[in-house]
Amino acid sequence: MATTTEKPIIEAQNLSREYARGPEHVNALSNVSFHVMPGEMTAIVGPSGAGKSTLLHLIGCMDLPTSGSLHIDGVDTAGLKDRQLTRLRRDSVGFVFQQFGLIPTLNVLENVLMPTLFSGRQEAARALQLLEQVGLAHRAKHRPHELSGGEMQRTAIARALINSPRILLADEPTGNLDSASGAEVLQLFKSLNSKGLTVVLVTHNESAAATASRRMTIADGQLVADIRQ
Amino acid sequence: MNRLMLVFNSLLRRRMRSSVTVLGVAIGSAALFSMLSFEKGYQDGIRAELDHLGAHVLVAPKGCPYDAASMALHGASWPCYLKEEYLQRVRSTGGVATVAPLLMNAVYSTQSSTPTVYVGADSQILDLKRDWRIDGEFPQDSGSCLLGSSVAHSLNATVGSSVQLPGIGLDDATKPPMVHVSGIIRSTGQSDDTFVYLPLDRAQALFKRPHQLTHMLVRLKDPNMLERVVSDLRGCDAGMDMNVVPVAHVFRSIQNLVNTTRMLLACVAFAGLFAACAGVSNAIMMSVTERTREIGVMRAAGASRGDVFGLVLAETGITTTVGAVIGMLLAMASGPAVEAWIRSRLPFSPNGALIKPDPGLMGLCVLVSVLTGLVSGMAPAIRASRISPVQAMRDSEVM
Repeated sequence: MATTTEKPIIEAQNLSREYARGPEHVNALSNVSFHVMPGEMTAIVGPSGAGKSTLLHLIGCMDLPTSGSLHIDGVDTAGLKDRQLTRLRRDSVGFVFQQFGLIPTLNVLENVLMPTLFSGRQEAARALQLLEQVGLAHRAKHRPHELSGGEMQRTAIARALINSPRILLADEPTGNLDSASGAEVLQLFKSLNSKGLTVVLVTHNESAAATASRRMTIADGQLVADIRQ
Repeated sequence: MNRLMLVFNSLLRRRMRSSVTVLGVAIGSAALFSMLSFEKGYQDGIRAELDHLGAHVLVAPKGCPYDAASMALHGASWPCYLKEEYLQRVRSTGGVATVAPLLMNAVYSTQSSTPTVYVGADSQILDLKRDWRIDGEFPQDSGSCLLGSSVAHSLNATVGSSVQLPGIGLDDATKPPMVHVSGIIRSTGQSDDTFVYLPLDRAQALFKRPHQLTHMLVRLKDPNMLERVVSDLRGCDAGMDMNVVPVAHVFRSIQNLVNTTRMLLACVAFAGLFAACAGVSNAIMMSVTERTREIGVMRAAGASRGDVFGLVLAETGITTTVGAVIGMLLAMASGPAVEAWIRSRLPFSPNGALIKPDPGLMGLCVLVSVLTGLVSGMAPAIRASRISPVQAMRDSEVM
């Protein structure tokens, strides 16, 4: 869990992101500052359009801020080229999407191994171990369309962990799941967090937010509340 | 799992589209190979036929020189004749080494749908046809003949045997029905295989053309004297009645005559290939668009722009390579039909197969097809590489 002697794994200072929408500029995020310590589990909540996903994209090195600074795992993302951002994303961050993002023609094991095609660290044994961890070892040879929603999301979580990231980002991970499956997935996040993984999840779901040790509330592109629960 | 497997998976996911795209490339590359192979075979064939003729100059009756060349090469009944007295005039022209006088006639028989070509000649022809290998000897008397290998085979003739000449009437008391086979020309792969050679005076009597010739084949002492000899022949007393055709000019002229057709065919072949590659580009572009979210997930999972570019380009490469290889097989399978079709549209075609398996040419066509395909695959590959991982989170398709 978080310790005060460690450096923040995510550190944002006056983070802003503007978008051009036709002739007008939209401030998706304005001067957001915070830091996340290793091993924290943080829920980012707020109404639709508040800027939660924009913040998650920035933390995930999928987008760059218009202004401000952001350090991920000790690396200043300012001025990084696409190749460097890709490497940082690949090595330090795992993503879990609301829509799972599984490749339909690959089986569960192959989907979990997919990120290793680009990291060059193909470890089928580790993939099987992760599937064991998420309770899907028996489904390794199944295709995504043969899985339930909860199983698909657990496959996506195993895939996000295959490159041993230090941060797990999840965008509405229970948004497409029934409550039982959602609870299983949240329990899995909790379990991973208890083993030291930093988890940041964006959610509308109160029970999902309640599982986190910290709740950051975004409204109109600003951080309006940051509560450790 | 490896990247190639991922690429194959993407292609196999939309089997019908991939198959149609591959088929398009196959047809385009088959057309390209057929065209190039035909062009090469055509040039080689004409050169071989004219070389086999053994002459530098063809002397024929007035008329179209290309018709005369075609008839001399492939055998036919000629519509007009030369006087035999011109032979001495040609022989006495400076620079002329050998002149072979010929009387050619094609005769239909009830046994075959194709005519038998009879050629009256004297032994001078042996000086021209230096590549002939004869079992036996050239006919020494009017009761003998020299058979091409195909004719000998169809008549079951052997050297020393007697045969009935196909298409020659048995009721004519002046002509004996059977002739002695004094020799058989071993297979040349040219029209000679289908000719029956008779002594010149025998042929003139048989076809009621006394002292007449259809053409003369002239060999020069020195090919560099061609222009001067041709000029002398055209300027002589008999020049007004003779068509003096340099064989090299025939080759060039025939090439020029068919150039337009060949250019048209080449344009069609290349247009077909480019259309196929445009189809590849379109199909891959559609595939990329459909897989935007998936590509975004890959980018989020650590795929660089280069990785995505490479994956999409590999899809194009595999599609065009498979298409091109199938195209080569298609070209070989359809070769005879395509050749027959093209032949029917050309004014002059040499004998023998013109579309032949040629590993070098096949490799070149596959290479051209793949390179063209890869160029056409650049646009979708670049587009795919620009897909942002953010799009993986935005799209709403569920899987």
